[in-house]
Amino acid sequence: MALHPSYAPNFYSIEDILATQERIPCKFLGNVPDMGHLNPSTLEKDLAAGTVLELPVWLVQELSLGRHSIVATELPKIYKESYREILKADACAVDLHKFNLYFYELGKHIKHFDRKGDVHDILLHTFKTRFRQIMDLADHSVSDPTVQERLETLEARLFSDAYDARTKLNAWLVESGAILEAANMVVNHKKRKRMNLDIIM
Amino acid sequence: MYSLTDTENLLLSSDEEEDVQLTPAEVIEMMEGAWINEKFAPEILPHRSEIVDCLLAQVTSMEENIQGLDSSDFKKSIHQLEVDRLRFLVSSYLRTRLEKIECYSTHILKEEAERSRRGEESYLSEQESVFARNFSQGLEFYFDKLLNFYPGLPTESWSSRIIEPNLHSFIFVKSKTDVEGVIIDDGTDGDDLADFRAGTPILISYNSVSGLVKKGDVNLI
Amino acid sequence: MYGEKGFALIKELSRCKETLPPYNTDLVNAVSNEIKQLLEQIKDAQSTSDNESALVTAGSKISTITIAHAGIKRNLRCLLSYHYNRIKCLRTMRWEFGSILPADIKVNLSAEEIEWFSKYSQMLASYMRSIGDEGVNLAIDMKPPKALYIEVRCLVDYGRFELTDGSVLLLKKDSRHYLPRSECEELIRQGVFQHIV
Repeated sequence: MALHPSYAPNFYSIEDILATQERIPCKFLGNVPDMGHLNPSTLEKDLAAGTVLELPVWLVQELSLGRHSIVATELPKIYKESYREILKADACAVDLHKFNLYFYELGKHIKHFDRKGDVHDILLHTFKTRFRQIMDLADHSVSDPTVQERLETLEARLFSDAYDARTKLNAWLVESGAILEAANMVVNHKKRKRMNLDIIM
Repeated sequence: MYSLTDTENLLLSSDEEEDVQLTPAEVIEMMEGAWINEKFAPEILPHRSEIVDCLLAQVTSMEENIQGLDSSDFKKSIHQLEVDRLRFLVSSYLRTRLEKIECYSTHILKEEAERSRRGEESYLSEQESVFARNFSQGLEFYFDKLLNFYPGLPTESWSSRIIEPNLHSFIFVKSKTDVEGVIIDDGTDGDDLADFRAGTPILISYNSVSGLVKKGDVNLI
Repeated sequence: MYGEKGFALIKELSRCKETLPPYNTDLVNAVSNEIKQLLEQIKDAQSTSDNESALVTAGSKISTITIAHAGIKRNLRCLLSYHYNRIKCLRTMRWEFGSILPADIKVNLSAEEIEWFSKYSQMLASYMRSIGDEGVNLAIDMKPPKALYIEVRCLVDYGRFELTDGSVLLLKKDSRHYLPRSECEELIRQGVFQHIV
C-alpha cells in the first residue's frame, strides 16, 4: 500500500520474534526447581546451579532483569574478539549470512549484555561498510547472486527495496506512461489457482 | 464551461471568522502540499478537511459541467482527465491518512484525547475520529475474544504495547524561507543547530522539523 | 523449551508473504494450552512457597516462577503477533480484492477473522460515505491518471459491459479495446483487463 514506514520493529514484528529465538550461551547462577527439562542432557527434575545452556534471547532477557540475575551470559562467538577482528579487516568480504541470519537484530539485543560497547561498535562499523556494497549491488541491472547469498536478513531486505526502487525509477525514466496493473494479491491468487489446477489435472 | 483557468475565486471556509478567498489553482497547490507532507511524514498530520471539501465541491461542479458536453468534443476528455487527477489527489491523501490511523490507532486516539484536554485542535477530522474509534474498538474486541481462554490472564503485556510511529525517520525537506537555529534531534543529548536556506533540500530526522512541518514553514519532498 | 509452538505459528506466517495460510486452530489451541499449564505451574509454585517456611526453597521458586512467566509472555507475544499480522494481511485484501473475498481465500480464515473483515468493510464504507457531500469511493483512483485513452486486452469472457455514456461492449477473451482510462481502471485491478502499452 501507499505507506512505507521506516524499519522500526515493534511488539508484533515477525522479524523481531524470529531474531529473539536465536540462542546464546549462559550459566545458571543458582538452582532452579522443576526446570530440569530445559537441559536436554539430564533427566533431573531440577536445574542445577552451574549448568551451562544455550538459551533463546527472549528467555535470557527475562532472566537478566533486575539486580538478581538468574543467569550469567556469555557473548556468542560471532560477537567475540576474533570474529570482530575479521569484520574490522574486511567487512564486505564476510559471509554475514553464515555468521547469523539475524546478525544486526541479534546484536542489537546482545549489546545490552556487553558492558564494554564492543558489540555496539562492531555493528555500526559492519553496517556502514557493507551498506555501500548493497547500494552498488542494487544499482546494477544484473544482480550477482553470489554476493546476495552473503547478505543477512536486514541487508537482504534493504537490497530488495533498493532494487525495486531502482527498477521503478528506470521504468519511469524510459516511459512516462504508467502501466495500470491488477492488484498484486489478485495476480498471485490467480497464479496459485492455476498451479493448483495443474496439480489436480 | 467551468475551467480551472477561470479567475473566479473559491471560498475556503475555516474556523476563523472570515472565509479565505483562494483561486482554484491555489487550492490545488495546497492540496498537493498537504498530500506530499502526509505521504512522507511518519506520524499523522493535522487534517486539512477544509481543502478536501473545497476541492470535492469543485470536482462535483466540474463533472456536472462535463456531462453537458458532447462525447466527441475533445475538451470533454481533457476536462475528464483533469477531474480524474483531482479525484486521485484527494483519494490518495485520504487513503494515506486512513492507513496511518489503522496502523497507529491506539496511539493516535491517546494523543487526540490529550490534545482535547489541552484545548488544542484535533489532528483527525470528525469522520476520521469516528473511523478511528470504530477501528480501535474492532481490534480490541477481536483480541479480547482471542485471550478469553483463561480468565485472569495477565493481559497488560499486550494492552500496554502500543505501536507508535518512528519519529526519528529521516525525511527530505525544503524550507520556504530561511530558518535559523533548527535543533538537530538525533536522539543524543547533543545540541547541534542547522540553518535552512529557502529552497535547499535537506535530509534530516523528522523529529527535528515536525513542528515546522505542521506550521507549514517547511515542505516534505 | 517453552514457546516452540508459538514460534511455529510465526514461522508459518514468515514463509507466506502474499497470502494467508489456513488458520492454524490446532497450533493456536496448543499455545493457549501451554499458557494455561504455565499459569497453573506458577500458582502451584506460589502456594508451595507460602506453605514452606524454608527461605532457601522459597527463594529459588522465584526463579521457577520467573521462567514460567517468561514462557507465558513469549507465547502471548507469538499468539498476538500471529493474529495481528493476519488481520493486517486481511486489511490489505479488502483494498486489493474488494469487499467480497474469493472463496478459496475465505476458506483459510477463522470465523472471527471473517467477522472482523465484515466489520472493517462496514466501517470503511461508512467513512467513505461521510466524506464531502456525497461520499467518495477511495478504492478507485489508486494510480495517478496519465492518459486519456488506453488500450486493453480482455483476459476472460466477461460478457456485456456498459460504459458511462450508455453504450454497451461485448467483452470476449482476447478481444482488444481502446477505451477511456477511467472506464477500465476497476476491471484492470480485478484482473479482467490487461493494460497494453
